[in-house]
Amino acid sequence: MSSAAFALSHNFVAAAGEGFTPPGLGEFIFQPYFSDGTLPWLTKPLVASVFAAVVVMVFFLVGSRQRALVPGRFQFAVESVYTFVRNGIARDVIGHGFEKYVPYLVTAFAFIAVSNLFGVIPGIQFPTLARLGFPLALALFSWAIYLGIGIKRAGFFGYFKSVMFPPGLPVFIYPLLAPIELIQVLLIRPFSLALRLTANMFAGHILLLLFTLGGTYMLFNESVLLKVLAPFALASAVGLTSFEAFIQVLQAYIFTLLSALYIAEAMSEEH
Amino acid sequence: MKIGAPPRGRANADSEAAWGVVGYLVSGLLFWGGVGALSDRIFGTALLFPVGLLIGAVLGLYLVWVRYGRT
Repeated sequence: MSSAAFALSHNFVAAAGEGFTPPGLGEFIFQPYFSDGTLPWLTKPLVASVFAAVVVMVFFLVGSRQRALVPGRFQFAVESVYTFVRNGIARDVIGHGFEKYVPYLVTAFAFIAVSNLFGVIPGIQFPTLARLGFPLALALFSWAIYLGIGIKRAGFFGYFKSVMFPPGLPVFIYPLLAPIELIQVLLIRPFSLALRLTANMFAGHILLLLFTLGGTYMLFNESVLLKVLAPFALASAVGLTSFEAFIQVLQAYIFTLLSALYIAEAMSEEH
Repeated sequence: MKIGAPPRGRANADSEAAWGVVGYLVSGLLFWGGVGALSDRIFGTALLFPVGLLIGAVLGLYLVWVRYGRT
């Protein structure tokens, strides 16, 4: 056997032995753009996140510049997003005095939706909020806002008293319940906001990668059976992409809705 | 067209309940389970962690009932 033929067969055996490596955590770790060590924090998620912010800004700036009484198509699209969050979330959930919080809620919704949709937009194809740091920062905004509202309304001790001691319970139960209520408001809420978003984006990204990479692997596999089945996997990838787009917008809605609920609760007297 | 805002918290009481319930159950387990685990470490026992988890689960459920079950 010539050495070339041996190398070829060896390669083939190695390739067959390796099999398919499913996508994993490595898909969420990005190397900095400059490999020489300058700007080590400049990675794809960061750039995509800044781009998302720019997209949101341009969307609303351009859409609100004309303010025509009879809106054009683009202005109509912008106004629908705004109206959806203003009426569908802020007004319905917060009620009286909701106007103050519309800017934050609209911005949060738009930014999260755009960031998430990056997961299915060709050329970017990474939902930046799948990295926990980004949604955690967003959740901390909501956290600071609802705590700030509560403290401003009832004072520092007054607010935490109303959180920890909801009226109408037997006295002996308060020592047991108060700490639960406290960590619910202080810890569980921001972390569940962030984790729900991250976990959904993470799982969706993995799912899409699995079907796309797996389908491609099957298509170029020696096995005829896998070749025949490959189109089904790839078709599922296409179907799942539109499903993901739905989930991505839905998660933006849930984040905004829950932020509004927390704000409403901090505003209300009876807690 | 609706002009006045509806009463606060009405429109989405159900979705609030759905997320709030999970939060209370987790908080209960986390806090009293944590207290139990910590006491186990301090006193060198092994029983307080499960007891704490049980108490936390019961209290979490109780809070869910107080918040969302009555009315």
